[in-house]
Amino acid sequence: MTKAKGRIAGYLFVLPALLYMIFFVGYPIIDNIRLSLFDVNVMNLTKGHQSFVGLDNYIELFKEGTLQKVLMNTLIFTISCLVLQFIIGLAFAMLFNLQFRSAQRLRGLVMISWLLPATITAMMFKFMFSSGGIINDFLMKLHLISSPIDWLVSSGTAMFTIILANTWIGIPFNMMLLTAGLTTIPKDIYESAAIDGATAVKRFFKITLPLLKPAIMSLLVLGFIYTFKVFDLVLIITNGGPVNATQMMSTYAYKLSFDQFQYSQGAAISNVMFVLLLIIGVIYLRLLKKEEQL
Amino acid sequence: MRAMIKQSRWLLPLVSIIIVVIFLFPLYWLVVTSFKTEAEIFRSPQTWFPQVWQFKSYTEQLTGSSFDIVNGFRNSLAIAVGALLVSTLLSIPAAYGVARFRFPGRHSFILIFLVTQMLPASLLLTPLFILFKNIGLIGASYWSTILANATAGIPFSVIILRTYFATLPKEMEESAKIDGCNTFTTFTRIMLPIAVPGVVVAMVFSFLFAWGDLIYGMTFIGKEELRPITAGIYNFLGFQSTSWNNTMAFGTVSMLPVALLFIFVQRYIVSGLTNGAVKG
Repeated sequence: MTKAKGRIAGYLFVLPALLYMIFFVGYPIIDNIRLSLFDVNVMNLTKGHQSFVGLDNYIELFKEGTLQKVLMNTLIFTISCLVLQFIIGLAFAMLFNLQFRSAQRLRGLVMISWLLPATITAMMFKFMFSSGGIINDFLMKLHLISSPIDWLVSSGTAMFTIILANTWIGIPFNMMLLTAGLTTIPKDIYESAAIDGATAVKRFFKITLPLLKPAIMSLLVLGFIYTFKVFDLVLIITNGGPVNATQMMSTYAYKLSFDQFQYSQGAAISNVMFVLLLIIGVIYLRLLKKEEQL
Repeated sequence: MRAMIKQSRWLLPLVSIIIVVIFLFPLYWLVVTSFKTEAEIFRSPQTWFPQVWQFKSYTEQLTGSSFDIVNGFRNSLAIAVGALLVSTLLSIPAAYGVARFRFPGRHSFILIFLVTQMLPASLLLTPLFILFKNIGLIGASYWSTILANATAGIPFSVIILRTYFATLPKEMEESAKIDGCNTFTTFTRIMLPIAVPGVVVAMVFSFLFAWGDLIYGMTFIGKEELRPITAGIYNFLGFQSTSWNNTMAFGTVSMLPVALLFIFVQRYIVSGLTNGAVKG
């Protein structure tokens, strides 16, 4: 096979998928930029005159303060989830990494929460945290609270509930990536450290954590990207309420576009999200390059 | 440390089992609730096990009340299988191309697939809605939702399969050529059969992405009777007084394929998750 022939063959293999992505992803990205710069509503969505308004949609959202509000909410949600699911995921990874019977099978079972449709998880948490639900029942039995809490009615507890639900989904992801990281650490390092008299706590902070650093970095970046765009879960549990207290960028973009038919403003929010995720994505690709995996 | 582990031969598994049981409690609660009567669901104190088993939540919805459970299941299946087929058929050759051939732009193609994996669905939603509306795909069929869901399956599958194809030895292609295979038959007869485990992973994930989709299904499909089961659940929850046992029946049914896949291909799923995410 000549070089030129191999080149053409390579292109031919890639072309169908590439064209698909250009048509169904590339074009929408461009079109979304156009949408955000025009005044597009339900009257002129597919036909009719759309007037150019420049950055007005962005400016208006910024002046109303909603852009900052939903960005803040999304950041609080994302960072809280990242911290929680990392700590629990690491604990799970280390627990199931100990050599005991059925460790692998139990680790596999934990995976289920990650595989379920987010819709089901959301419905489940909404039910458990309803005022007559099992969580209140349990807390009252323990005498931690005297009367049922309306979890989804006040802003702090509503945010807490969706963070908890999303953490439940994210734990297996963290656990698996950290497990993969743990298997790369040679066992004899621990043994010689133990001989030198290092305590378990010291071994954890001086050996385990530093050597897990590459795995931790890529899982935090990926976790940020996945969590930042969470949609279904929030839509179902709180629908952004009470009064936008849990409104995320994704749910707000959807609400603007498909509830209020302010397609341009919805597009503007999505574009801000896109730019932020792109920045994080570039950081991730840098990390991959550093590890020479690309 | 070894001595400690030996000591706790039964303690460690026991503690782990308790942790996993607590962790997965929501799933138990989901299934149990679907078999309880409306009155029992919010009784205080809560019952850990149905006092009266009732199957009404399932049977009632078989006959097309507000949302037909069998119908919803069939719609989700059609959408997920469609998305699986589209994304697998396109991503297998693409992954082979970027893994086995040297050509200019190869790295940018890989980058494109990596980046598209990170896009939020809301970014594509309105432009795709307009696009599908213009070509007449909104409301009447599964196609709009299938095509949109494949945009998530394709990049993930390409990235997973690339690592599979890249590890195969170069001699295989050379000996295939000596045996009279051309580029295409080398791919279909020699390389593809070896990559089957990778293909399974890609298929499972393409299926699961589309099976769990809510946003595309509820936005693009106008007809109630064509909507996926997730959209049915969303509709149910929108009502003032949610009928929880019915909703949980929906949840249990939509969990079934995930549970089956989990039982049969768990090994592949674990390797796929770590390969696709870490190695990129």
